[in-house]
Amino acid sequence: MTLKYAYFPGCVAQGACRELYLSTRALSQALGIELIELKKAACCGSGTFKEDSQFLEDTVNARNIALAESLNLPLLTHCSTCQGVIGRVDERLKKAEQNDPEYLDRVNGLLKQEGCSPYKGSTSVTHLLWALVGDVGLETLQAKVTRKLSGLKCAAFYGCYLLRAQEQLPYDDPYDPRSMENVFHAVGATPVFYRGRTQCCGWPLSSYATTQSFKMAGGNIQEAIAAGADCLVTPCPLCHLNLDSRQPEVERVMGEKLGLPVLHLPQLVALALGVSPKELGLDRHIVSTRPVLEKLGF
Amino acid sequence: MQVLFKVIRQKSPESAPHIQTYELDVEPGNTILDCLNRIKWEQDGSLAFRKNCRNTICGSCAMRINGRSALACKENVGDELSRLQRIAASTISEASDGKPAPPVMTIAPMGNMPVVKDLVVDMKSFWDNLQAVDPFVCTQARQIPEREFLQTPEERDRLNQMGNCILCGACYSECNAREVNPDFVGPHALAKAHRMVIDSRDSQTEERLARYGEGTQGVWGCTRCYYCNSVCPMDVVPMDQIGKIKEKILDRQDDQTNRSVRHRKVLIELVKNGGWIDERRFGVKVVGNSFRDLKGLMSLAPLGLRMIASGKFPLTFERSEGTEEVRSLIEAAQQLEAEQKS
Repeated sequence: MTLKYAYFPGCVAQGACRELYLSTRALSQALGIELIELKKAACCGSGTFKEDSQFLEDTVNARNIALAESLNLPLLTHCSTCQGVIGRVDERLKKAEQNDPEYLDRVNGLLKQEGCSPYKGSTSVTHLLWALVGDVGLETLQAKVTRKLSGLKCAAFYGCYLLRAQEQLPYDDPYDPRSMENVFHAVGATPVFYRGRTQCCGWPLSSYATTQSFKMAGGNIQEAIAAGADCLVTPCPLCHLNLDSRQPEVERVMGEKLGLPVLHLPQLVALALGVSPKELGLDRHIVSTRPVLEKLGF
Repeated sequence: MQVLFKVIRQKSPESAPHIQTYELDVEPGNTILDCLNRIKWEQDGSLAFRKNCRNTICGSCAMRINGRSALACKENVGDELSRLQRIAASTISEASDGKPAPPVMTIAPMGNMPVVKDLVVDMKSFWDNLQAVDPFVCTQARQIPEREFLQTPEERDRLNQMGNCILCGACYSECNAREVNPDFVGPHALAKAHRMVIDSRDSQTEERLARYGEGTQGVWGCTRCYYCNSVCPMDVVPMDQIGKIKEKILDRQDDQTNRSVRHRKVLIELVKNGGWIDERRFGVKVVGNSFRDLKGLMSLAPLGLRMIASGKFPLTFERSEGTEEVRSLIEAAQQLEAEQKS
């Protein structure tokens, strides 16, 4: 049976991390997954809507979920932050159906008033990582590998919202997750464990407290290097922005050259499925991915 | 059942940490504190840890249990083993010698505070930072009423969640912002700060909000790592309390107050304009303050040039097809909230 999702692209994959958009598309194609892009969806707010009001975050994201519901499909994210925000809204509104129906009526009342479909609580919100682990399955994924990533030491960088924003995680412990490392195994790479893999990249502070933000990113990159990593791999484009795009500034704050490539999760997996580095936008990174590709014999 | 307790020990603040392993025959219902007490009483009297009530009330026995900060008197062996087994079951590993080994519990001191000895940390900064938010109801500016400062049960109930804090330090121990910002007062202090802000008897609400929003020592120092919400043993959800202080500040301040406030206001404006965030405009508007802050704008130049050189810079922006609907929805939601608040 073909896997089919209502695909929520998010802001960053359509902007500064266009290579994530390209690689998710390429990976889906390689795995025979059908993505129906939610062209009318809106930014999840990345946790900032909630600071304006919980109601704003819930309403905008109830609309996003309702767009997937109208297609009778699960909503697929490929960003830890989008997943944590929309997934948590889905949890909260499903709970409200039972415990606080007045609140749900308030959300749906506004959606109807604005001509949007109401939230029904009839679908699920899932991240690409979880789709690989749970829907595709690690064995199936392993069987589709045409180019084993043998010898590549990968350090996961999960992103806070993928681990701790939702009350229930389908596969992982919030402090000691394994999904990313299991995917690394499936594609023939070697997982590297280090403390920073569950920590914050510092992105939320990067526009106004850059030194603190870059110290956070830098500490995690240093730990991954010390653990022997050839690259970081992240399921979150916001983490990617701070860890890759800003790595030269991070290096200045840390006072040392780091030079650790940072791959998006679908880039790594699609490489193992035979997709070319060019197609995955691996030439569009700030920190060159050349050492990774050389190690893999490209 | 035989369980190994791997304890991260340290003789003094200056000495290097080392691991000492103890083996105990325990029941699943034993708490981690029960086990540590038995180690101390039966095997090694030199092991140092804080303890008192044994009942999740005093907050003395917070420590890192199997990788996250928690109360030793709240967590028990059975639940911890189930958690470790779940993690082990979800792990694909290359090699296993197939021999069954006794389960291992890893016990370490809390983070973000220097170790005094073994599992005892110096909590001075934790207490000083609590003090820094002025965690007392202030009624100085009011006229003293005839009887007392009355509060309805409903007004009191609003304080319960923050009032449940037992000041154990678990949130502070895991706080990612504290690790890089010695001025950040921490989630425990800001949860208490929110309790003061919404206390109907307090007369300093506006002054508090102004203070808690200064620099990055207060609410804007939070990096939203979610650790505090996740580890709090009393469901205080400190990050959410920090968010509620931010909400009150955002109601009062405009985008010229500082960059932290502008970050939030601009993000919502851009979503109204395009459904998605146009990142090019985000940088110019937030960091460059729409060309008013030239130094800020210049600070983005190296990033912009790097991104252009690598082909990463988004040259175009495609609005969501639902932009009009989203704009109208956001405006209506904000208006409804404003009406409810007033």
